[in-house]
Amino acid sequence: MSSRAALGIALAALALLGAGSVHATDWTVALDTRLVASDAEQSFLDDGLGALRYGQSQSGLQLGQLRFALTQPIGDIVALHLDASSWGGHDKTPIGPTEAFLELRPYPRAGLRARVRAGAFYAPISLENRAAGWESPYTLSYSAIDSWIGEELRTIGIESEIDWLGTQLGHSFDLGVVGSAFGWNETAGAELASHGFAIDDRQTVLFGQVGELGPLPGEGLNEFHQYDGRVGAYFGAQAQYLDRVFVRALHYDNHANPAAYDTAVGEGAWATRFNSAGARVEFAGGWSVLSQWLEGQTSFAPPGVGDLEWDFRARYLLLAKRLGRHVTLSARYDAFEVGPYPPSDFGMQNGHAVTLACLYELDEHWRFALEGVRVRSAESNRTILLAATTPFATESALQVSVRYAIAGH
Amino acid sequence: MRSRARERRGVAAGAFAPATGRPSARRGVRARDLARLLLGAAASGLLWAAAQAGSLSVTVLQESGTPLAGAVITVHSLDGAAKASAPVRAVMDQVDQAFTPDLLVIPVGSTVSFPNSDTVRHEVYSFSPAHRFELPLYRGKPYPPEHFDRVGLVTLGCNIHDFMLAYIVVTDAAFYGRTDAAGNWSAGAVPPGRYRIEVWHPRFGGGGAPSREVAVRDSSAAVRIRLDGGLRPAPLDERLPSWDQY
Repeated sequence: MSSRAALGIALAALALLGAGSVHATDWTVALDTRLVASDAEQSFLDDGLGALRYGQSQSGLQLGQLRFALTQPIGDIVALHLDASSWGGHDKTPIGPTEAFLELRPYPRAGLRARVRAGAFYAPISLENRAAGWESPYTLSYSAIDSWIGEELRTIGIESEIDWLGTQLGHSFDLGVVGSAFGWNETAGAELASHGFAIDDRQTVLFGQVGELGPLPGEGLNEFHQYDGRVGAYFGAQAQYLDRVFVRALHYDNHANPAAYDTAVGEGAWATRFNSAGARVEFAGGWSVLSQWLEGQTSFAPPGVGDLEWDFRARYLLLAKRLGRHVTLSARYDAFEVGPYPPSDFGMQNGHAVTLACLYELDEHWRFALEGVRVRSAESNRTILLAATTPFATESALQVSVRYAIAGH
Repeated sequence: MRSRARERRGVAAGAFAPATGRPSARRGVRARDLARLLLGAAASGLLWAAAQAGSLSVTVLQESGTPLAGAVITVHSLDGAAKASAPVRAVMDQVDQAFTPDLLVIPVGSTVSFPNSDTVRHEVYSFSPAHRFELPLYRGKPYPPEHFDRVGLVTLGCNIHDFMLAYIVVTDAAFYGRTDAAGNWSAGAVPPGRYRIEVWHPRFGGGGAPSREVAVRDSSAAVRIRLDGGLRPAPLDERLPSWDQY
């Protein structure tokens, strides 16, 4: 049975279970429209090697996102969460789930609480994407790290977390450890070798692709596939000091066999492992400082090509200031590198980006945002694959976003 | 909370006084006169006692000398001059994904209801030894009030929103309350006697809560308590609950 059919059957069964529950379903629908002014190259989502979501040809009115989310409690400690979005552009799938999982959350006992998630969801890595729909309340476009996670990373499997709720016991700290066993994430890393890191807010849906099939590797790649029988794993830890400091770290390894290759579809497994760590510090007066770091390797060894490996590394520093209950001003600096090993020209990237944003959350329905992004990068594939005269590009985009959301139950 | 408790005590005392001197119209004149005499004596006795009662005011200062608002004051009688406060019915609401108020001080035996005024569901729990309970996933007010019959600190959480935190201090003190913005709290009509004043605040670390003993006579007693150690940082205000989904 294919993973798609299995997930479909599981979701249908859960929906039936949910229908018999006494709790009503909570749902949210949100429409985010954008006015874009971009001088960027053709986006990696559109057969190009531009590092932004919208290239120059896409300036104008765009669908930022149409999002539908629901939470269906099943009894008192189990809930089904579904988040589905359409991102416009040239996605093969007009709308698809970004996350679909069942969560078991028993009551804490003596300060300890377990939490189990099964299905498809985000690993606990990001510190900026803390709002519903795995969105950032600081900027429209995510950091390079979180753009990549949204593009290529998803846990399709089971995750367990144990939390020690110290603040409930009179201490100043909460601690947690998390571990997961997963599959269907064996293409993670392919996009880094293909176009490198990007600064965008387009999350790949579970049965979706990154861009359209094109001449470049990674284009139109079906993400979230399994090519061998190996199980991936991650484990991590997090700690919180009151409501002031939050730190988390995670080690990820999809344990893929880089030689596993499906000749029928021309795609194979990418063995990817990385470490990540980050901190979010919030101060009185509305100031926040966030920083994340991620570093790892991905390797790919299709038949007849030999071992190919890329190291990748990215980090950012974000400074945010809340003005009252409605306005958030944010500035973020991203730096990122992808380097082939042994050294070669293919898939070498080096860049940095500055993002400035002002978000105005009027109420539970309306959010207005203004964001400017400027990315300076060197991407060797521009000269190798697109016959560009230089690997360098400086790209910028200005976006105005209006989002309207309704929720009910 | 404090004023409501005092009101209840006042009502109880008022109801008691007429009942003691209810004269019967069928009795003879002498009996009625005697009753009047007794009633008069009782009334003047009460007045005398009231005149003898003092007041107690407490000021709590941080280590730096700035006033500490919201500190919990409990005052126990050391010589039986005043008894534990009568139970009350209190409410702790949930508004904008926060417990409102963030802290209740209630006499032992009191009940607290936990309505949820949010549109999102909450799941209130406590695993504190003084009162363990769970209110499974709900909106509105589907559950009867909880009965708090043991003295102690009850820490509340929401199993859906881990950032929600509140406290219920269950006390057998004769007088209790929280300090105002100037760090002050006071009680009137405190019978003469010896009392122990205890101070607690959620921002105290693991260290012990300061306490003082004081004698209240027929005038007012004022106590200033300055904390020895520092406090934990105050919770950040204007927290946006929509920011804590992941």
